[in-house]
Amino acid sequence: MHRVAQRRIIIPFLLPALLLLGVFFLYPLVRTVDISFTEWSRTGSYTYVGIDNYTRVIDDPGYRNALKNAFLFTLVGGCMLFPVAIAIAWALHQRIHGERFFRFVVFAPVVLSVAVVALLWKFVYHPTLGLINPALEGVGLDVLARTWLGDPATALPAVAFTTVWHGIGIWVVLLSAGFERLPPDVLEAGRIDGAGEWRLFRSVMLPMMRDLFRILVVLWIVQSMQAFAFVFIMTGGGPFGSTDIVGTLMYREAFERSEFGYAAAMGVILVVIMLAVAQIVNKVMKRDELHY
Amino acid sequence: MKTMRFLVPLVAGCLALAACGGDDSAESAAPDAANWQTTIKGGPLEVGVLSAKGTPGLAILEQLAKKLEADYAGTKVTLTFANTDARPGIEQRWRSGDPLDVDYGMFDGTNEALRVWADDGKLLDLRPYLEQNDPDTGKPWLDRFSPTVRKFMENPSDKGIYGVPSELSLHVLFYNAKLFTQHGIQPPRTWDDLLAANAKLKSAGVDPIAVTGLFEPYIGMWSDHLWLRTVGYDAARAVLTEGKGHITENPGFLKGLEMLQRLRDEGAFLKGFEGTDFTAAQAQFFQGDAGMILMGSWLVSEMADVIPADFELGVVPFPSVSGGAGDQGAVMAAAQLVSVAKESGNIPLALEWARRLTSVETQAQRAKDIGEVSAVTGVSSPPGIPGIDKVISGAEALQPRDFGIMQSAAKDVIYPEIARLVFGKQDAQQTLKRLDEGLRRVYRN
Repeated sequence: MHRVAQRRIIIPFLLPALLLLGVFFLYPLVRTVDISFTEWSRTGSYTYVGIDNYTRVIDDPGYRNALKNAFLFTLVGGCMLFPVAIAIAWALHQRIHGERFFRFVVFAPVVLSVAVVALLWKFVYHPTLGLINPALEGVGLDVLARTWLGDPATALPAVAFTTVWHGIGIWVVLLSAGFERLPPDVLEAGRIDGAGEWRLFRSVMLPMMRDLFRILVVLWIVQSMQAFAFVFIMTGGGPFGSTDIVGTLMYREAFERSEFGYAAAMGVILVVIMLAVAQIVNKVMKRDELHY
Repeated sequence: MKTMRFLVPLVAGCLALAACGGDDSAESAAPDAANWQTTIKGGPLEVGVLSAKGTPGLAILEQLAKKLEADYAGTKVTLTFANTDARPGIEQRWRSGDPLDVDYGMFDGTNEALRVWADDGKLLDLRPYLEQNDPDTGKPWLDRFSPTVRKFMENPSDKGIYGVPSELSLHVLFYNAKLFTQHGIQPPRTWDDLLAANAKLKSAGVDPIAVTGLFEPYIGMWSDHLWLRTVGYDAARAVLTEGKGHITENPGFLKGLEMLQRLRDEGAFLKGFEGTDFTAAQAQFFQGDAGMILMGSWLVSEMADVIPADFELGVVPFPSVSGGAGDQGAVMAAAQLVSVAKESGNIPLALEWARRLTSVETQAQRAKDIGEVSAVTGVSSPPGIPGIDKVISGAEALQPRDFGIMQSAAKDVIYPEIARLVFGKQDAQQTLKRLDEGLRRVYRN
């Protein structure tokens, strides 16, 4: 009797969330899959073409290049993000002098719009009018000067760096919460046993935060594989496709060439790949749960 | 089982939503051409504009809107930015049956990809209205427009006219006239002149040519123009955007690439161009960092705020190529056409906007104040672009810019390969080979 009453009351509570989920997530997902089986004209009429779009995507070297770049972006960006974010979060956990100021400095870029940050860094990277090359030349390191966004070897890392610079504040906040959750008595026990701060960090803190890292890595993969705005504004996918990622390629196919079905097929394949990668990462990084 | 109870209705609902939709818009009747002006009534009118907020170009259109509002009670004109990155959103509105009453970029008779809106009946055929006498001049409205731009306005399939030009964009070679005079350099009329100008500018410590490396289609303007001269418009277009024949079959393509390679090898391009975006490259030209820039005639209006007061601008057509098998006197151009939506709720008012926008008075003001080149006869060339009148009068033909590559699937093949060549990653022969592979893949030929 009690259970039936409980069920009755659960449904109205769940309904708004389910409605939102249905309208803003499931419906677009179903619609995208539906569109991926169609071919569109520029004016909006369409015909069903079965799995043609999927076979085209698989044969498309542009898509393979975009996927490769998306993985590279995720990897390079992840390598730039996590060590620095963990270090900052750890430093802020040490109750250093001026902690609030540093927290503000780290978090400040997050509140800037993507367009503003992208244009700002586009200027910073400018080979002759920007800030980096003249600074390098000023200190006699001309040999390190590059045409950052114009060199296929540096363009993708440069955009990844900008993405990380913009969003690192959020990751620091999440990691800081992880450090805050660590039980002080365990850390204290380590100190009593003679562990230094580095040893404590490496052998106690990091293992205890493994679950959090797993979630954050999956989140980063999902976020960076879908990256679009920074690449679109800073390089448009160039030079010669070296920064082209799935998001920018899909955008061009859909909105420049009105190939909505083809772009939708690219999106569906990306979702499947992301789910698979997230699942693999989840499994690889999964360890027995630590209760503390 | 419990999960299914939630999931099944949810998915069913989503599928029902997905099945919904369709065209619920009502098409308004077009007015009788003979007396359309007597049927104009005030009402809301949404007009697409190419000028950004705060620019002198928009100010002129705002004046025009105010005048229309004053002349027809109840009129409220909304000017909607419809250029570049706004286009996808605007086109989505057209697809969903909520078009702007008057819009840009919906038609170009010379470009198959841009004729589909007319072919699918989304645009109003303006010919019947254009053929009526204009009350201001007593001659047909159509007679206002230069015969050279008619091919942009007319749809070859049904001979209808689906757009009128508010301005003409000519692709020309701008040069810093003061710098050229100082160093005794002749404006480059031929390819040899251009090479000589490069050498003199370099020896004067100035980078010869400003170009952007971050927007490949602008690098591609060089190959487009070279191929116009070494291959010819029709032959190049057939291979590049129509998939007819192969790029290796016409030696003019390789010749054009070799000429571009020579420019690169002689260090003709702006230092650091690879990482410079087009706004910066244009600004650097006006700051005297480079002697020349190949760009559309919109350059002057676009960069008006950064052009120094004492800057002396010169302009010539793209240099001719001695012995080139292509069109030596042709100039690449685009007509910026405004079209009227067939589904517009107020077609007479939309037509009146187009008529006023293309009046000699408005066009003369745009030429004088913002440096726009007009396609309307009797309008003087913009004083801000000295020499553009000679370019227009000397042009043997106006050929559509970029061969239509930008709207074709070959865009992602051609321009990145041209960029590789200009960036020094491959030579002309390798570029031709990669272009051939890419074009064969795109056109499956």
